[in-house]
Amino acid sequence: MSVPATHLAKHGSAASKPGRRLPNKYKLFLMALPFFIITFIFYYLPIYGWIYAFFDYIPGIPLDKTPFVGFKWFRTIAENPTQTQEVLRVMKNTVAMSGLGIVTSFLPVIFAILMTEIKTGWYRRIVQTLTTIPNFISWILVYSIAFTLFSVDNGLVNTLLIKFGFIDEGINFLANNNNVWLAMIAWYWWKSLGWGAILYLAAITGIDQELYEAADVDGASRFRKIWHITVPGIMPTFFVLLLLSIGNFVNNGMEQYFAFQNAMNKDTIEVLDLYVYNIAFSNNFAFATVVSMLKSIISVFLLFLANGMSKWIRKESII
Amino acid sequence: MRFKKMTSLALAAFMAVGITACSGGKSEGAKDSPSASASQSGDGASPSASAGSEGGLDHSKELELTVFSTTANYAGEQTGWYGKILKDKFNIKLNIIASNLDGGQNKIAAMMASGNLGDIVVFGDNTTDYPNAIKGGLLLDWTKDGLLDKYGKDIVASFPKAIEKAKVAFGDGKAVYGIGNNVASNQPGPSEGKDLTWGPELRWDLYQKIGAPAINTPQDYLQVLKKMQELEPKNENGKKTYAFSMWADWDGNYKMMVAKQFANMYGYDENGNTLLYVAADQDKYYEFLSDDSWYMKSLKLYFDANQMGLVDPDSLTQKFDDVVGKYKDGRLLFCWFPWLGSANYNTPERTAQGKGFATVPFKEEKVYSWGFNQYGSNWVMAIGAKAKDPARIMEFINWLYTPEGAMLSTGGGTAIQNGPKGLTWDIDKDGKPFVTDFGWKAFADQKGTIVPDEYGGGTYYDGMSQINFPNVAPGLTNPETGEPYDHNLWTTSLKRNPSKLDSEWREKMGALTPKEYFVKNNMIAVAPQGFTGKPPLLMDKALEQKNAQIGTVIQQYSWKMVFAKDEAQYNKFKQEMLDKVKGLGYDEVLAFSVKKAEELFEARKSVTQ
Repeated sequence: MSVPATHLAKHGSAASKPGRRLPNKYKLFLMALPFFIITFIFYYLPIYGWIYAFFDYIPGIPLDKTPFVGFKWFRTIAENPTQTQEVLRVMKNTVAMSGLGIVTSFLPVIFAILMTEIKTGWYRRIVQTLTTIPNFISWILVYSIAFTLFSVDNGLVNTLLIKFGFIDEGINFLANNNNVWLAMIAWYWWKSLGWGAILYLAAITGIDQELYEAADVDGASRFRKIWHITVPGIMPTFFVLLLLSIGNFVNNGMEQYFAFQNAMNKDTIEVLDLYVYNIAFSNNFAFATVVSMLKSIISVFLLFLANGMSKWIRKESII
Repeated sequence: MRFKKMTSLALAAFMAVGITACSGGKSEGAKDSPSASASQSGDGASPSASAGSEGGLDHSKELELTVFSTTANYAGEQTGWYGKILKDKFNIKLNIIASNLDGGQNKIAAMMASGNLGDIVVFGDNTTDYPNAIKGGLLLDWTKDGLLDKYGKDIVASFPKAIEKAKVAFGDGKAVYGIGNNVASNQPGPSEGKDLTWGPELRWDLYQKIGAPAINTPQDYLQVLKKMQELEPKNENGKKTYAFSMWADWDGNYKMMVAKQFANMYGYDENGNTLLYVAADQDKYYEFLSDDSWYMKSLKLYFDANQMGLVDPDSLTQKFDDVVGKYKDGRLLFCWFPWLGSANYNTPERTAQGKGFATVPFKEEKVYSWGFNQYGSNWVMAIGAKAKDPARIMEFINWLYTPEGAMLSTGGGTAIQNGPKGLTWDIDKDGKPFVTDFGWKAFADQKGTIVPDEYGGGTYYDGMSQINFPNVAPGLTNPETGEPYDHNLWTTSLKRNPSKLDSEWREKMGALTPKEYFVKNNMIAVAPQGFTGKPPLLMDKALEQKNAQIGTVIQQYSWKMVFAKDEAQYNKFKQEMLDKVKGLGYDEVLAFSVKKAEELFEARKSVTQ
């Protein structure tokens, strides 16, 4: 964003007569000012809330009457071996789920490419609508769909398997500690595949049609065109989204895991956000603040790391 | 280049200004947050409200009160029959904010942080939010300007102990910030209605068909239930039946909720959210995770039941609503609670055929019951510090504690609110209350019964008091009629034509109601409800956190143990659980739990002598 701005600014200041009118650089600054203010209010001001991590804060009682506890809540994270183990277990789940999410983040790319290759317009629209809709279904409802499909007693899948004689007794798919990570990533993509493809679809539409025409003239096959034109055309978009998802590495959100958690899979499903919810959000604002602080710091670190990698590998920086 | 430099400088300057500015901004925001509170709309429509009733208050202006209730399950204006009574009598309109429907604890925290809790505030417990609201200056002191003495005369006269508790426990000995729920005068015996909280209940018809074998201990239910299941392996729609169907979404503070129920049937209960079970009527306790604990014994019992095929395999993953549906469909044969089993399965058609859930106690049973509590239970009704017209609010709260107010609106559980006099109930020529035919219809089908317009219109259900705060204990005797407030307990109600199921049960058990049966056979442990005369002991934040972590571990492993593959795996999980909670600070929490139990024993002394 800053590149064209400086360019314009230089150009402008050379053209205007000094002293008579406001130089363009100030004009541009004033134009950008409202956005700085909004960014400040919504992104920097809330950081003030970090102060609650150092108090035994209770809603309703002003901070000046609240005991200052220093780093007490930071220390509780590693207070004793059992506690540390719990945190490590939770971190392992977080890393696994986010890692799987990143590893599989090429799925919407493929999906978007396949979708643009559908030549029948009405069919493509139907596919796109049907795959986008799940994104708007809340996780609680997704869970009730999962429950009707997979419950032991009356679930569709178990009933079918028993009817066809594959198994004799229902399998409890939902209360099962095996493959929880894979199951979760599958549900995640079921819900967000269509939605995730939208940006790529837009990127593909933005690719110059002349490139395809030229490739046609050269006698390129459909696959060659995809490989040499479409894929490089959407790579920048892919990398931007990849970087952002690396920055969000520790923020898995909790709704999905909250809805699907039960005693059997809790060991492997409890990600950081869910852990904080289960332990602290009930009434411990200080602890919740500590965790979100640490999360922000880790996220910023990861984002710069990813950006550095991008600079190094692709010679392109995003931030 | 210069441009870049300038912007970054500007940004830095902004941040500096902002950070210094916002330290003041926070508290300011708290002060002038939008007060959706009492607004007196003088639209001139002066209704029948008698201006200048007791206390000589002027009712000519309509008063709109914001009720912030952490127990309500309805948000919006109070409508229907109760709304009409309040409008006619006091010319007030209630606007209910229900945190249950709007973020739960987060909503409460947001309201507290805003500095305004509305006009009337209802707390669902008196251990955290209520004392914090007092500390934060968010509640009105009822003794200020003689408010309580002038407009709360009936409360002071009928329930002085409740006021005493408010002063000593929460008001430094002088101020009164609120009053408890289910308040009673000094009356012995259980405070419940015709049913107690626990049964347990069995499908009565099936139990009779297999010959009604004797049941001495909870373990004996398993063989009985197995036979019942063999007798009816499928319900009317051809779906499998089970004895136990459990749900995890209520676990929270109770660890595994369904695993504590047999402890209650032995007269013990969890003492707050601690690690001890305390006896109802003796100064005894045992540790949650010890081998004598009925929590642990229940886990074993459910494990055995699961091995016998008696447990619904979806117990781990389903929600409470699914279980309710299974009771309605007749897919379950056992229930811990009358309010779940018979409340959902026993339709008039089924009970007429003699089918239905009914209480079948075990010989050793000594069911936990709450005594009448002169000090009030631990929910609180309070007035917000910024309330507009405290005198009229006090007058209204006072009315809720009079026989007139209680007769209309107290209730809870199976004790449905009685409703307006003359419509759902009335007084017969002998001065005894009775439920009208319309009343029975309304109580059985609350959502489907339309109330006539002259009584406020709408369905009976919508018209009930939605604050969800039973001010007076429903089982308490109404001094005006000599009968309890709860219509289920009126003599006329008990004698009303019983169903086939009811008459069979009464004949076999030799009692009119389960409560009568338990009392007659001395199978009840009534917990006296006292008060130490001191502010309650509270866990500090760090201990609270440990307790929460231990709780989630116990909860998780309890389910794993019940659904373990075999005895060896069961024991392995048990050991893992014990090791884990030890590491998380079990001993520290236990030490606090013992202190908390001693506090309770001390409190009981205030009522036992």
